[in-house]
Amino acid sequence: MFSLSLTVPAQLEMIESICDAVDSAAAAAGFDERARYSCQLAASEACENIVKHGYGERTSGEIEARLSASPNDLTIELIDSARPFNPANPPSTQPWSVDDPPVGGLGLLIIHRVMDEVEYERSQGQNRLLMRKHTG
Amino acid sequence: MEIQIQEYKRVAVLAITGRIDSATSAEFEAALQDIMGKAKRNLILDMAQVEFLSSSGLRVLVTTLKSLRKGGGELCIAQPSQRARDAIEIAGLDVLFKFYDDREAAIASF
Repeated sequence: MFSLSLTVPAQLEMIESICDAVDSAAAAAGFDERARYSCQLAASEACENIVKHGYGERTSGEIEARLSASPNDLTIELIDSARPFNPANPPSTQPWSVDDPPVGGLGLLIIHRVMDEVEYERSQGQNRLLMRKHTG
Repeated sequence: MEIQIQEYKRVAVLAITGRIDSATSAEFEAALQDIMGKAKRNLILDMAQVEFLSSSGLRVLVTTLKSLRKGGGELCIAQPSQRARDAIEIAGLDVLFKFYDDREAAIASF
């Protein structure tokens, strides 16, 4: 069992460090390079939502990432104190045409396509997002 | 992220190195708008050295594509790294873009 936690300032420039930690955890779970990258993408999108939609203009917030891995299984838990934002709601799946492609909602789409489980909980003034991926 | 620009008569090639994410997408968008402002209707993005492509970068790709096509131009992607390609495919946007295996083939298409 591998576990790692880190807390970073809720700034776009800090998301890469969470991605690096996710890559380490996914490697510990035995994921291949593409699966590891997809988990980094999902974590990046979730963190971007927290910074942009959660904290917004607030610059004093933090994001805590708790990562745990066991063979073929990765859990990413993100905790923040921003305003409530629920990324567990499935994204719109309305069809679109190549003449009018979507420019919004791509982050949620990526999270839900990459991760097998996405759970959200709001308690004691904190958002808690749990994302799991299984392989093999 | 680093962007190298090579201009040709009918097209400009932008070679991107590094991460296109929420921290760098504004710079990426500014570079694209700058080159579009030089009356370049056709752009090729050489994504061989792209290490990370998030939805922020994908949004820039889509808005640039829309803008260019509105003016009769085109945006192509040359030799995308596996990571760039994966992000585009996961987001379901691979049907939007013309992909070329190498830069020369992309240039020759214009």
